[in-house]
Amino acid sequence: MAAAISIRNVSRRFGDNWALRPVDLEIAAGELIALVGPSGCGKTTMLRIVADLQEPTTGEVRIGADSASEARRKRLLGLVSQRPAVLPWKRAIDDVRFTQKIAGRVGFDPATVLREFGLEGHETKRARELSGGMLQRVNIASAMAHDPSVLLMDEPFAALDEMKREEIGEWFDRELATRPKTVLFVTHHIDEAVMLADRLLVFSPAPGRVLEVVSVPVPRPRDAAFRQDPRFVAIAAHVRSLLAQQVEAA
Amino acid sequence: MPTDIALPSDQTRPAPPPLLPRVGMVALRVLTPVCSVLALWYLAIWFSSLPAFVIPRPERVLDVLWVDRAFIFVNLLATLKVATIGFLWANIAGIGLAILFDLLPPTRHMLMPAAITLRNVPYIAMISVLMLAFGDSILSKTAIVALSGFFPVLVNTMAGLRAADEVQLDRMRILNASWWQTFSQVRLPYAIPSIVAAQEITGSSSIIVAIAAEWMISSTGLGYVINHAMQNYRGDQVYAVALIATGLSFVIYSLVHALGGRLDWRVAGEQRRG
Ligand SMILES: Nc1ncnc2c1ncn2[C@@H]1O[C@H](COP(=O)(O)OP(=O)(O)OP(=O)(O)O)[C@@H](O)[C@H]1O
Ligand SMILES: [Mg+2]
Repeated sequence: MAAAISIRNVSRRFGDNWALRPVDLEIAAGELIALVGPSGCGKTTMLRIVADLQEPTTGEVRIGADSASEARRKRLLGLVSQRPAVLPWKRAIDDVRFTQKIAGRVGFDPATVLREFGLEGHETKRARELSGGMLQRVNIASAMAHDPSVLLMDEPFAALDEMKREEIGEWFDRELATRPKTVLFVTHHIDEAVMLADRLLVFSPAPGRVLEVVSVPVPRPRDAAFRQDPRFVAIAAHVRSLLAQQVEAA
Repeated sequence: MPTDIALPSDQTRPAPPPLLPRVGMVALRVLTPVCSVLALWYLAIWFSSLPAFVIPRPERVLDVLWVDRAFIFVNLLATLKVATIGFLWANIAGIGLAILFDLLPPTRHMLMPAAITLRNVPYIAMISVLMLAFGDSILSKTAIVALSGFFPVLVNTMAGLRAADEVQLDRMRILNASWWQTFSQVRLPYAIPSIVAAQEITGSSSIIVAIAAEWMISSTGLGYVINHAMQNYRGDQVYAVALIATGLSFVIYSLVHALGGRLDWRVAGEQRRG
């Protein structure tokens, strides 16, 4: 089950520095929002505020009828961290089960999800025995193993090669069609964002501010052919120019 | 838990070398230090002109070990008892305090200065005070062993409990894990290598401190045997005790090291890599 998210006037300051200037955004249940923007613009900060891992300086986050903290305590949230959070002494499959045990909820069969992530034959390996890309896939599998209604993903596919990245992205999109979730998805990869997202939140350089919310008015899941679609090309070009202008201005 | 299903990584482990060369390697690693110690010992006897009750010959010391075996063994057991109980207390206090400080941070500000102070009081003064309070009892001797050993355990456990990666703690928070789940499933495993390192210090120092306490205040234990031997000009007996105590410290260190290696997930992973 997906949940709507409402971000109202959320900002964050560290000491004298603004990491994130006030953001307002209503996200519908089942929507996938991509957060794109230069390094240090506050994307991780925004995700951590929604995850109730950090307090906003102003504003509040509502997830369905709950506050962020209530949603966290109900285990409605899943987080894919920027660095893998796989426990080094656990085998891949046990790490996925670990999430289910702590959350007290079994989202799906761990062996099946690892197979879908292309990890068949690696289920009993530990973190140090996996390549960076494999480890990040275990990380994603573990993060969604309890079938959360909101998924917060911080550059989840950054460690994957281009082919695997597209493949997993498409798998992920189809997975969301069968098990809808509301997703906040941080990425530096503009094509990936346009491919997967309903809307893109384009941030300015630090201190981050939302420059524009770009819609991708094409139903999901989308297949690989969408990459050749003129709408895809036009939206990606528009987002690129938005970010490039900012770099020039800076 | 399906943790003991066949490990595919086992296939990558190199086959163990044949038995005979392996035994040979172990023998070599034991024999070389023994030979070098014996050589130094004989050289010291030949080049210093000290009398035999100051430097007895090694065979004389072995002879004493055999002749006085009953006397030495009884006192060895007494020392082991003091060292073991003290060691356990050191761990209960050290690990217990580290957990308490973690659970209730204000207790750390209250108790840590006291722990540091205790750490810096000369042991001899402490033994004397304990002697005045409790006399020659198991309590006073184990207390001094515990007091000398708990600090490394405390400090290392505290450091170990902070070693978990922030992203793993975030993961537990997002799953609304309880304090106990986060502690037992993430932070404690991360702390194990530091706790094991502390055992190597506290384990072997327990024996040494137990002997020192017995030497000062007791009429049992290896420390007492040394005292007794000195009064009777029995240098050979002192050497015999020294030999036993050194061997014991060494055995305890190796035991802790081997047991610790089994608990340490980092070492376990590396061995599995081959
Ligand atoms: N705990 C913190 N204390 C102080 N400053 C922080 C903290 N966390 C983040 N910042 C600052 O806030 C700003 C935004 O950081 P954030 O991690 O959200 O950026 P980001 O958009 O995720 O960047 P990247 O793409 O490099 O991951 C940065 O300037 C960073 O230095
Ligand atoms: Mg970031």
